[in-house]
Amino acid sequence: MATTLLLIGVIAAWTSTNLVKRVVGLLFAMLGALVGAAALAAPAALLMLGAGVALGYFLVAAALIVRVQEAYGAVEAAELDSADGADEPAEPKA
Amino acid sequence: MSGYLELARLHAPVLTLLALLAGAALAFVSPSRRLAWVLGIAASIAAAVFSVDAAQRVLVWGDAPIGAVEGLALRADGVSLFGAAALNTAGALVAITAGAFIAEASSRTGPYVMALLLCVVAGWSGALFASDALGVFAGAEIAWLASVAMVALSAERGALNGALRMLIAGGVGAALFLLGAALLWRAIGSTDVFYLSAALIRAPGLAASGVGLMLAGLALKAGAAPLNFWLGAAMGRASGPAVLALGVLGMLGCVFVIVRFAAHAAPAPALGAGVSAVLAALGAASVVIGSVQAVGARNLRRLAAYACVAQCGVALLCAALGSPAGFAAALVQAFATLAAMLALFTGGAIGVGGARSLDALDGMGRRAPLAGVAITASAISLMGAPLTLGFLGRWRLVEAGVGAGWWWAAGAVIVTSLAGVFFGGRLIERLYFRRAVATQEAGAGAWGIAGAPAMISAIAAICLGFAPTLLLRAADAATAFVAGGGP
Repeated sequence: MATTLLLIGVIAAWTSTNLVKRVVGLLFAMLGALVGAAALAAPAALLMLGAGVALGYFLVAAALIVRVQEAYGAVEAAELDSADGADEPAEPKA
Repeated sequence: MSGYLELARLHAPVLTLLALLAGAALAFVSPSRRLAWVLGIAASIAAAVFSVDAAQRVLVWGDAPIGAVEGLALRADGVSLFGAAALNTAGALVAITAGAFIAEASSRTGPYVMALLLCVVAGWSGALFASDALGVFAGAEIAWLASVAMVALSAERGALNGALRMLIAGGVGAALFLLGAALLWRAIGSTDVFYLSAALIRAPGLAASGVGLMLAGLALKAGAAPLNFWLGAAMGRASGPAVLALGVLGMLGCVFVIVRFAAHAAPAPALGAGVSAVLAALGAASVVIGSVQAVGARNLRRLAAYACVAQCGVALLCAALGSPAGFAAALVQAFATLAAMLALFTGGAIGVGGARSLDALDGMGRRAPLAGVAITASAISLMGAPLTLGFLGRWRLVEAGVGAGWWWAAGAVIVTSLAGVFFGGRLIERLYFRRAVATQEAGAGAWGIAGAPAMISAIAAICLGFAPTLLLRAADAATAFVAGGGP
């Protein structure tokens, strides 16, 4: 179950077009990793550190989404990319 | 007095981190950006002195190793001493160069930028000195979140998009690392990854999966291809200090951590082949994809970042060999990349200010000759021209690779060098053989000494290629130390 949660989160974080959904996907991935670590009887220090890091990511992500909404007036990745792409030509991608 | 000095030297890892974190705290509460800059320089120079002194004593003079720091989860082995010395020296040079940009930053965000820059260096230094997976995880996440915040503080709105992509990539990397550490715990009953070679591995499959996930998590942060989807967006529009922190300190800091991790995991019979396969795949992909991306780049900062990916790929290939010679080659290559990237980014920062397009370089060799020399030295080193540090790193890979029967590694070196000739040649052509078609801004707000790091790193990129004995000795001692021998 933990691996499924992690995979769903990773896929959602990478493929969603909406930034809020990406962040929710990221939280699912981190939750999956935490549940997996707990199932493997990982030490409490690792679990607490993981939870703290997940909280840190969530707070930074929330702040960034607010600033993105203020700056672009949108939270759709395609709209952000097209606004950025208008500034300079495309380059080869990985 | 000498007793206190010896005590301080025994605690060099703690003092390095303490100097950086105290400097970050002071810079954060500093009322002015100029004071924050001075505090940042003082803290980063102090950290560089502690780490370089420790590395010099142990790796060059052959003094007794520092080992574990009592009461703290820190341990200074050969690779961590080498990496921390290189990283903290680069951190001090980046802090000095940041003055060129902080002079133009708002008085509200200027102190935060310096505080975050110190946190990036402290995070990667902490990950290098960590004695177990928890420490590596904590250090890497501190550095990563500080890098994200630095990118997000950039004035341009496009940087927010890049920061969010970085955050997603880093978060996925953190989840993979966390699960990998838990799998390793299950397999060996400890999170101490640095005793892997001697540990009793109860479940080899589980341990190999754990190490693979941890390496993948770190590779995402190092920008190794094809996991570098965040790099273009983050580097293309970020502010100068953020580009320096991410492109010079972040990527190379993470590569040093990967090399250290691999150096401890590769000797374990159950893990060696898996570690080697993962690093070889990432290294080969980084060399090819990074080179293609650098050749196609039209944005100076992206070009430098993609070139860094290709160079880091060579370092990962060296580490994939899994032998002491391979790890020594990886350290030399990472150091060569650090010097070249520092010269390129700082030269660009001083020469063209906040401009990003390659057009900004046109005629810069005449407008800003010292910055032009720094970029030229970096380009020549990236090409791997003989008698430069870049050549030294690649030659060591060819030596170690051919010795292990990895003839294809020589092909990867040729690909990197050919791509380097193309994009490095393009930089030099623009610097000296074109006329500026528009008025270019040339680091107008730079504060006095902000240009010095560009020249220092350019001199290092060339001179250490002429006289590499000290560097090679330190790299060999660092890997011998990890392999169980004395320094």
